[in-house]
Amino acid sequence: MNGTDAVEQAYRLLQSEARQKIGVNQDRPVILLGTATCGRAAGALAVLDAFKDEIEKQHLDVVLTETGCMGHCYAEPLVVILKPGYPPLVYGSVDEGKARRLVSDYLVSEDPCYEFAMAALEPNDVFPTFADYPRGIYEQRIILADCGLIDPGEIDHYLAKEGYGGLAKALGGNPDLVIDEIRESRLRGRGGAGYPTGIKWTTCKNAPGTPKYVICNADEGDPGAFMDRALLESNPHQLLEGLAIAAYAVGAEQAYIYVRAEYPLAIKRLKAALEQSKERGLLGQDILGSGFNLEIKLFQGSGAFVCGEETALIASIQGQAGLPNHRPPFPATSGLHDRPTLINNVKTLSYVPHIIRNGASWFRSIGTPDSPGTAVFALAGKVVSTGLAEVPMGTTLRNLVYDVGNGIKNDKKFKAVQIGGPSGGCLPESSLDLPIDFDSLQQAGAMMGSGGMVVLDEDDCMVEIARFFVDFTQKESCGKCTFCRLGTKQMLDILAEITRGQGKIEDIDLLQDLAEDIKIGSLCGLGKTAPNPVLTTIRYFRPEYEAHIREGRCPALMCKDLISYRIVPEMCSKLCNVCIGSCPVEAIFTRPDLLKGIDPDKCVKCNSCVFACPPQYKAVVKMSPPVVEKVLAETVEGGGSEVEQGSGTDH
Amino acid sequence: MKLSREVALTIDDRQVKAVQGERLLWVALDNGVYIPHLCDLREAERTVASCRLCFVEVEGLRGPVASCTLPVSEGMVVKTRSPMVDRLVRTGFELLLSNHRLNCAKCAKNKHCELQKIAKERGLKLKLTRLRSLLQEAPIDESPATFSYDAGKCVLCGRCIWADQEQVGIGAIGFIRRGIARKVATFEDGCLADSICTQCEACVKVCPVGALYFKVDELQLYKLKKKC
Amino acid sequence: MDLMEGEEELIHTAVGTVLQSCGAGREALIPVLQGVQSRLGYLPRLAMQQIAGALQIPEVEVFGVGTFYNQFRLNPPGKHQFRVCMGTACHMMGGNIILESFERRLSIHEGETTPDREYSLERVACVGCCALAPVVVVDERVEAKVSPIRVDGILLTIEIEKKEQDAERQREEGRDA
Repeated sequence: MNGTDAVEQAYRLLQSEARQKIGVNQDRPVILLGTATCGRAAGALAVLDAFKDEIEKQHLDVVLTETGCMGHCYAEPLVVILKPGYPPLVYGSVDEGKARRLVSDYLVSEDPCYEFAMAALEPNDVFPTFADYPRGIYEQRIILADCGLIDPGEIDHYLAKEGYGGLAKALGGNPDLVIDEIRESRLRGRGGAGYPTGIKWTTCKNAPGTPKYVICNADEGDPGAFMDRALLESNPHQLLEGLAIAAYAVGAEQAYIYVRAEYPLAIKRLKAALEQSKERGLLGQDILGSGFNLEIKLFQGSGAFVCGEETALIASIQGQAGLPNHRPPFPATSGLHDRPTLINNVKTLSYVPHIIRNGASWFRSIGTPDSPGTAVFALAGKVVSTGLAEVPMGTTLRNLVYDVGNGIKNDKKFKAVQIGGPSGGCLPESSLDLPIDFDSLQQAGAMMGSGGMVVLDEDDCMVEIARFFVDFTQKESCGKCTFCRLGTKQMLDILAEITRGQGKIEDIDLLQDLAEDIKIGSLCGLGKTAPNPVLTTIRYFRPEYEAHIREGRCPALMCKDLISYRIVPEMCSKLCNVCIGSCPVEAIFTRPDLLKGIDPDKCVKCNSCVFACPPQYKAVVKMSPPVVEKVLAETVEGGGSEVEQGSGTDH
Repeated sequence: MKLSREVALTIDDRQVKAVQGERLLWVALDNGVYIPHLCDLREAERTVASCRLCFVEVEGLRGPVASCTLPVSEGMVVKTRSPMVDRLVRTGFELLLSNHRLNCAKCAKNKHCELQKIAKERGLKLKLTRLRSLLQEAPIDESPATFSYDAGKCVLCGRCIWADQEQVGIGAIGFIRRGIARKVATFEDGCLADSICTQCEACVKVCPVGALYFKVDELQLYKLKKKC
Repeated sequence: MDLMEGEEELIHTAVGTVLQSCGAGREALIPVLQGVQSRLGYLPRLAMQQIAGALQIPEVEVFGVGTFYNQFRLNPPGKHQFRVCMGTACHMMGGNIILESFERRLSIHEGETTPDREYSLERVACVGCCALAPVVVVDERVEAKVSPIRVDGILLTIEIEKKEQDAERQREEGRDA
């Protein structure tokens, strides 16, 4: 077919030009430094300056490139060095000192500084690769594959690696073929609901009305989720390609990317990517000579979690407050300006180029039959290796926490894993062997959600976690519907009282009943899922609720009103003053008898002293129910203190 | 010209006729079947579906559905009562009460309030039993000549805003803020007399509860006028 | 909120410029509000009124949108803005304690600005650096793994810089005199 050939040719031309440009650097050493938001937070910009400075000093001919996030956030700032003759090496926790050493010892001399290398990126005889670690065994990178390894600001890097090849393939044929492929692949939406993407595309394609719109939902509002941010900052072109393919498939010529305002770097990198795309004719009029036109606009969110909900997002683009509307009608039929609108999450669209390039059966060969492909998780909380991991669906929670996450920090005991952010649920140890896929998690009462996964240990209070999430959803509630606006506040007040030791035993059942009603009665997904943390914590951790209420005790020693701190005389060295120095409110003092005391009126329960006390003493302990030692600082006689039993209330 | 099709459906075991596509809520109400409702207006083009009280069960649809969002179709079988429906209405109603300044005896809308009607029809108490009160103190705006606005009684149905923005096209009031702080207000949340409100009273006439109400003398006058 | 001298003109100019680049109609409202706030630091009453007139929307609707979203502020921000992340990971790693530390040091609550307009304190919904919790955004800079002691450090650094700047300015004025 002429059409196919012409488009394909146009693409290959672009690609070879890109490869030529990069090929120029073939023999030069390359330093890749991750300067995505978390890299920057860890100090990557200072490292960048150090590299620049040292390279100049040494008069080296080296390519220094800023990249995105590889997902090993626990080891930021991350550096990859490609030196001809050596395997590509990844270095973690690089500071200015190490940066200078890498230049002088590795780039100038021949010492690859293996002592602070993490892994090699290619199999070799000298150094292990990521595949040699448990994490590497379980991970299978599709959409994260190039993150951290290509320059997100250089379209040539993307083109050289087959980037936009999927779009070329799609444009060379009928849009229906594209939809068929996506349907065949059984790709399910990665925004949280897991709706079959192909079916959504079909609905939109067949819905009457023009113009049609495609919107990429990049309003990643789940606290604890940063997969979309990483993708946007590390490989924006992958998303643009997926978005363009989707638009072609459903017949839209206008697309929006709705990015939340709290991601300024992502917005910056996207803007740059859009410009470059346009320059190369991969966006705008007559893309690759196919006759297909597409304009992509960037819309910045203004800070509202509810705008992650489709209809609220649309309202926002239309210049209104982000208030959801009842569905049906669904956006695919009637959305932006009452026209058929396809809305997909960043991750969902990022899979599309790979599916078009490699085929639906390839995609189905990964993961499980009902949830094919991989899932990207943002592992945070009490695991050793926090960061992003992309694993095939069906991997168990246990694998994720212990093999990919390398277990619980500081040898503490695992307690629960919170999946799906405020819309998700907390699953206990007994659920660790659950395979991660849309359906199993839903049965357990949780939800895959967007992929945020926070690991909790014995020091985390489940009632407080429930309170925290309800506090979040309550503050983010749009206020339109009765159940969510008022119901989340009711649940919050009850939970807050329980954490303060003021709960009543009937409150647990009241919480349960309210939660169930809010789930059904609310207008939109925010209200319908806000009760999930409450329902799962009551289901799996009811004894913790009861301890708070009946005994005034917080088993995790977290709830401030139910704990007190004490410096144990037998453990205290009596000779160091680290605890005093660590206290931000000067609540710790040395008593006349040289023991340490904590003034309960000043103590803000920040745990600084607990962390500061040297490991060989570990003299600071927390108690629940609180035991208030009446401070008798003035008494010199033997320096005694009266001990008052705190509020061990009886309900 | 396309003729509207008439359809036959069953509501609570009773056969009724309606025009295809009409909202189920109004079909029921027109046929003497009461369904609790606050936010929908027959004349309004769009349904807001925000009060979440008009739930019904429809054969073939899973779970209770808001009847204001459902266009009627031939052969629809509807039940306006069920354990789940009753439970949802009860909780929704109690939630509204928990944020409502309850003093029926002194309220201008006493005996003419939709909340009282819902309570009567569904056998619900007009007081808080299981829930905590969420009511915050808020002053009553008595600045207009003939009516007053008590935000502490507002159920956020939005009818007043529809009347102001769509019906009379003035645009003096709208929803502001978010979540539990959401309220009906003027630009910068000032008093009505200071705003562009023309005091045409369109909003007062549509308020289903005692949030917008005629001042006593005006109320008598209004009732007299209505009788003529 | 009373305007400062010359502020009225500033507002007119800012609004005018933004309106020109953002297009017309209701759909332009949010980009316009964002544009105006990025220039003025907040949304003055006058600006909202101008925008309402230009886009032909009721003023109360502009106010409604302005008060709906977290990002828009109707009061001027402080010279230095602290945004404490309230994401899950940050909360678990003591985000609340950090917020309280700032509140204590600055003697204001979250959402407020100090009377001398130097500092404002806000919560922010997850900036996506969960692996480095707790996180605080100081002006445009992301500070990771913040502790209560670090809060003191951050404030101290700003105060020292301010003193140095004041001293520098005085020296220059002394020279020019």
